Amino acid sequence: MHELGIANSILEAVETELRPHPGARAVKIGVTVGAMSGVDRDSLAFCFEAIVKGTPFEPLVLDLREAAADELQLSYLELEEPTP
Amino acid sequence: MSTTTTTTTVPLERKVLNENDRLAAELRAQFAKHGIRCLNLISSPGSGKTALLERTLGAFDKAKRVAVLTGDIQTDADAQRLARYGFPVRQITTAGACHLDARMVSKALQGWDLASLDLLFIENVGNLVCPSSYDLGEKVRVALLSVTEGEDKPLKYPTLFNSADAAVITKIDIAEPCGFDRATALGNIHEIRPGIRIFETSAKTGAGMAEWLNYLAEERAKRIDG
Repeated sequence: MHELGIANSILEAVETELRPHPGARAVKIGVTVGAMSGVDRDSLAFCFEAIVKGTPFEPLVLDLREAAADELQLSYLELEEPTP
Repeated sequence: MSTTTTTTTVPLERKVLNENDRLAAELRAQFAKHGIRCLNLISSPGSGKTALLERTLGAFDKAKRVAVLTGDIQTDADAQRLARYGFPVRQITTAGACHLDARMVSKALQGWDLASLDLLFIENVGNLVCPSSYDLGEKVRVALLSVTEGEDKPLKYPTLFNSADAAVITKIDIAEPCGFDRATALGNIHEIRPGIRIFETSAKTGAGMAEWLNYLAEERAKRIDG
């Protein structure tokens, strides 16, 4: 249940980041998860896949990487933009 | 002509719960402005958060400037229990969410005259994991551990105990029949959070309540200078 909330927060962040890039598609979102963050990576990956499914975000990839301590950070967003 | 695309990588380097942290910072500023000391009580379900609050409210003078927000997944049973003591109480029903977040607290506070409060208790949803990740703008985070849960809980759920400012061991009146190993429990809490203030209470007998109430008075006194 907790991971579902985190997954939602990640997707909200993707939406926010996309705003200044009209026409762009989010390809990959990078998130770092610390061992002490209280977030299970497998469970987060599962929840993220579930909430992205059937939305215009599909097939957005969640790139989870291990980090130190209680870190839970968005590290990068990969975008595909139409070349002008 | 076919459309070509360019791939760009935008560095983000910010917390996933950035939005919650931003709202929590707003709440913290609001509490500071009105001179409110806010305490966030976190523990597993059934460890006695509501009972501790009942005993606490029962000990307060009716003129005391205190209010409670209580979070549950369903029902307003806790709010009903706590409302008996004559202080403002509001129930936050999360409808499935396993923790309170800053937005829920902010919403629940709407319409309350914050200037009339000195102490605000937030009773989180019973859960040892998720609530510890969500800052609610509190100044004091209190982790509860009942004697029935076992001495190893601080080691198993370090995120909560590591972020707590005070710990309360509850149901101390039944410690013996439960085979509760007090020294190990205290040692485990201190291992995760060295030097933390620990209270040992029983909401049933009132044991340890004087120390706990004294601590609340100290915290209340700190509300102006933060």
